[in-house]
Amino acid sequence: MQHLYKLIHANPRFHELERKRSRLSWTLAVIVLANAFWYIGATAFYPEAGFARFWGEPVGEGQALTWGIVIGLIQTVLFIGMVVYYISRANGDLDALKDAVIADALRAAGEQK
Amino acid sequence: MKPNLLAIAMFLLFALVTLGITWWAARRTRNASDFYAAGGGITGLQNGLAIAGDYMSAASFLGIAGLVFSTGFDGLIYSIGFLVGWPLIMFLLAERLRNLGRYTFADAVSIRLQAGPVRTLSACGTLVVVAFYLIAQMVGAGKLIEVLFGLDYSVAVVVVGALMIVYVSLGGMIATTWVQLIKAVLLLGGASVMALLVLRLSGFDFGELVQRAVETHPKGLAILRPGPLVADPVSAVSLGMALMFGTAGLPHILMRFFTVPNAIEARRSVLYATIFIGYFYALIFIIGLGAILTLTGNPGYVDAAGALRGGTNMAAIHLAHVLGGDVFLGFISAVAFATILAVVSGLTLSGASAISHDLYASLFRAGRPNPQAELRVSRLATVALGVIAMLLGIAFEQQNVAYMVGLAFAIAASVNFPILFLSMYWRGLTTRGATLGGALGLLSAITLMVLGPTVWVDVLGHTSAVFPYKHPALFSMSLAFLGIWGFSVTDRSAAAERERAAFRAVFVRAQTGLGADGAASH
Repeated sequence: MQHLYKLIHANPRFHELERKRSRLSWTLAVIVLANAFWYIGATAFYPEAGFARFWGEPVGEGQALTWGIVIGLIQTVLFIGMVVYYISRANGDLDALKDAVIADALRAAGEQK
Repeated sequence: MKPNLLAIAMFLLFALVTLGITWWAARRTRNASDFYAAGGGITGLQNGLAIAGDYMSAASFLGIAGLVFSTGFDGLIYSIGFLVGWPLIMFLLAERLRNLGRYTFADAVSIRLQAGPVRTLSACGTLVVVAFYLIAQMVGAGKLIEVLFGLDYSVAVVVVGALMIVYVSLGGMIATTWVQLIKAVLLLGGASVMALLVLRLSGFDFGELVQRAVETHPKGLAILRPGPLVADPVSAVSLGMALMFGTAGLPHILMRFFTVPNAIEARRSVLYATIFIGYFYALIFIIGLGAILTLTGNPGYVDAAGALRGGTNMAAIHLAHVLGGDVFLGFISAVAFATILAVVSGLTLSGASAISHDLYASLFRAGRPNPQAELRVSRLATVALGVIAMLLGIAFEQQNVAYMVGLAFAIAASVNFPILFLSMYWRGLTTRGATLGGALGLLSAITLMVLGPTVWVDVLGHTSAVFPYKHPALFSMSLAFLGIWGFSVTDRSAAAERERAAFRAVFVRAQTGLGADGAASH
């Protein structure tokens, strides 16, 4: 197994996989974190942070419902959407690349024998 | 409140069904892989539901509904904190964890580090998290059952403990999974019906519901603004961090990823878990608003001062009674009981695995245990943990234990999460760094909690707190990361060099799943 790991690590396509996956993972993770910190942080430091004031505003004339609540509920949908997007990428092009990398390594190991 | 016969009948039915499943599961639990990981034969959808069942505790269901009832918007902030961990687990941990581990998260961490110190620390992290979480659940269960079923507090704690011991010790992960799965379906179903009935009150118009909640609530428009949570912004952010990163470090949750056969099913598990958990928290907010509408000033449910009879945790329960009379109250009570059982079972299984797999099999038997002996140890550990949980539950009856769930999350975020995360992402991590830094996180989380306002002032009765913030995670988690980094980079030993060199193989395995422990018995 160690030999296979070495072969895979030497394969440039593995590094392509790794780069793609980490770009995807970290971009999504940073969006989620920024969202959460913005929401919780800005809420906590309300009302000093001017933009948080916006959340106290009603969504429409004469309505009690505020943007803060709507945004809070929309976050749930946003998170689920991001998870779905991640899965479609991970199960799609990333797994295809992963399978190719493993196949390369197995072939190379076979040739060396 | 008089005991609700229907609640008792429904609960007995739940107990009967789950015991039947346990009997079935026990015959399928033949080896360690079955006991810890249900033989790796759980599907993504089943696991997603079971994760939701493991994660949606009665503390969330009753606690957040109560929080929305008393302060409105703050409840929504809590909900988001509980949910945020899930996408993070998906993007950063789930598939790597599945590719690297076998039964416990310590398996993944100890792949390239020395098993002895790392497993010991992981087991400590697991057991401490499990202990605090379990005490909070046991005390909550005792109080709730006392009110709902008219059972004596200690009897209630013993009933919960005994059922949990039977499920876990005989049926292992298979029985635990099914208990959590059934509970998730019941809880999501019950909460959905409740939210629908609430929405009906306002003609299925959410804006109208909010409007009426504002008009009814004594605090008026203030319930749409951040409430008491804002009083201390640092604590709020710290709490947010505990919830976000603690979720990714809860041992009983991480363990669930080993019940699926591969990374694809692990991803699917998180997808379903995120959907169910997100949906659940949205329902809770609606339920909380419904409680404001129906319970405020209603003399049957609140006292003269406006406080809920039986405590703020009773908001959802009282609401069930208003909406659907004794029948619905009985159903929701039984669901709450089932919820507690599912969560304590998951916790106990994870604690028992830390003892039998991380400590006994990997340390004392140097990774070569007699499989039947390991299985026996895990069953004994389950019984022991169950008995300890009952005793602690009874001992803490008169204590305020609400902070213990927060503490469990803070410790998970300060010990388990940093070492697991860095073992996957940072080549430079060494045994010394993981062990000392993790220990620093564990000790600082507990110390800061004890010195903070919740324990030092509220529990121990001192006049002012030594540490000013209610939630320690911001500090203890930073200390843990700093400690792990510092003790790792200064580690010049030959062993540390080998550990860094071994990162490449771990990295390839994490990315490709090659060499991952498959469904062992299939």
